[in-house]
Amino acid sequence: MIEVKELSKRYGGTSAVDGLSFSVGPGRVTGFLGPNGAGKTTTMRVLLGLDAPTSGEALVDGLRYARIRRPMLRVGALLDAGALHGGRSAFDHLLCLARTNGIGARRVAEVLEQVGLAGVARKRAGGFSLGMKQRLGIAAALLGDPGVLLFDEPVNGLDPDGVRWIRELMRSLAAEGRTVLLSSHLMSEMELTADRLVVIGRGRLICDTTVRDLAARFDRGVLVRSPRAAELAEVLTGAGAAVAPDPSGGLAVTGVDVSVIGDLAARHALPIHEATPRSASLEEAYMELTAGSVEHRAHGSAR
Amino acid sequence: MTGVLGAEWAKIRSVRSSRYGLLAAVAVVLLAALVAWNGARIWDGLPPGERGSLSGAGPMELVAPLLQLGAGVFGVLVVTSEYATGTIRSSLVAVPRRWPVLAAKAAVVAAVSLAAGLVVLAASFAAVRTFIGDRPLPGPTGPPGEEVPVLAATALTVVAAALFGLGSGAVLRSTAGAVAAVAVLLFVLPPFTFLLPEPWGGRMAAVLPSGLAVRIAGAVPDPVLSPPAALAVLAAYAAVPLGAAAVMITRRDA
Repeated sequence: MIEVKELSKRYGGTSAVDGLSFSVGPGRVTGFLGPNGAGKTTTMRVLLGLDAPTSGEALVDGLRYARIRRPMLRVGALLDAGALHGGRSAFDHLLCLARTNGIGARRVAEVLEQVGLAGVARKRAGGFSLGMKQRLGIAAALLGDPGVLLFDEPVNGLDPDGVRWIRELMRSLAAEGRTVLLSSHLMSEMELTADRLVVIGRGRLICDTTVRDLAARFDRGVLVRSPRAAELAEVLTGAGAAVAPDPSGGLAVTGVDVSVIGDLAARHALPIHEATPRSASLEEAYMELTAGSVEHRAHGSAR
Repeated sequence: MTGVLGAEWAKIRSVRSSRYGLLAAVAVVLLAALVAWNGARIWDGLPPGERGSLSGAGPMELVAPLLQLGAGVFGVLVVTSEYATGTIRSSLVAVPRRWPVLAAKAAVVAAVSLAAGLVVLAASFAAVRTFIGDRPLPGPTGPPGEEVPVLAATALTVVAAALFGLGSGAVLRSTAGAVAAVAVLLFVLPPFTFLLPEPWGGRMAAVLPSGLAVRIAGAVPDPVLSPPAALAVLAAYAAVPLGAAAVMITRRDA
């Protein structure tokens, strides 16, 4: 369980997080989305006690992180997979972390096995590919078998195999009843992995919703083509739908479900050549939601 | 706390630079032996009438600053390598109270630099005495009762240099900055003592690390610093930067 309450964090004159509140429950993957610079990493840093909040608080299982004894047993985090001493082996890297929380060498070997790095456990981490470093970072997060997991941009720079592996791992961790918060600036990734979405921009909450609700909110109606379009439009309007000519030549119907349209057409013996439910892709929905809060935008580019 | 200590010990053991440091320590002993051997050779080659003209620094005066510099840089790297690689964040997330991380680093750095300092000093001492023999050359040729306290005090200055490096590294979070601080203390400030008018030159020389070992051992009579006062000054070189680091590491965003 993660609770962020009225959290604000300023660095000098710049506000990174501004009155942000949301909570993340167990048993599902929550996507933490926002454009670059939206405050995702800052929020995670405050949650992990690395940065002190300017005001408000961020709690894990009802506790401020700094008050947790042996925190790795409760919270696992991947912030920056590149944060490694290149000369240290994967095993030693994890062992150094494990020791601080009283975790033994056997558990280190176990997590290395789990992330598929057992074969290179004694190799210097400096020679690892980005994908291997991400796996090592995830292994570190799993060391204490924690109930709460935070991953900051875990799929950045991964190949498709690695992306799929992370996606399945996140879902299985959530299925075991853990709280999983996964940050990303890519909606397409979240669409496949997350159940819930917390979208932020410029340090503020934009929406806190489920993937399904977000898709429904950006419903664009149904495109219908029929050789007897005028009659069909009349019938549909009579049933309470809003009908407008679509630029592509058919009818843009909103307000009724595609099944209702089909039933109405059948009842009036009107032929239908096409009926396509249209919704903005989640990607478009996300772009629309965050349009006002993009920190750095190339001038002159249409969104 | 034992876990954090174990982790810090594992961190030092698991990187190659620690082994290179030990090799450098062996090189210091060899260097001291070489200088002593060379001095003895020159002495033997001179006609007896000119032997008295041989003077200069003894081999042990070479060992102490090299050890202090090596220990200082070691102390710096133990903490700044974590800032440079970003692993400090994992370390502090794992131990959110933070000060135990610094305390464990200080304990391990002190233990390693004390052990290495004692071994290198003892080995250099033995090698130098062997080569000089009973020739009246500059060097640790006095009776062991006089020489051992100076060696022990020198080992303490090595530990203080290491902890000064650790504290500076944790405050500055930069390898270059902290190594510069160590170099200024050990090598840049001592020549300044000759530029200051007396009695200030002498006073400054007395409180710099380079002059503390003999004063702690009571080997030179000094009206400015008694042995306990000299020991307190040495402790301050370690305690002040470490104290500042302890305050800053707990207060600052990591």
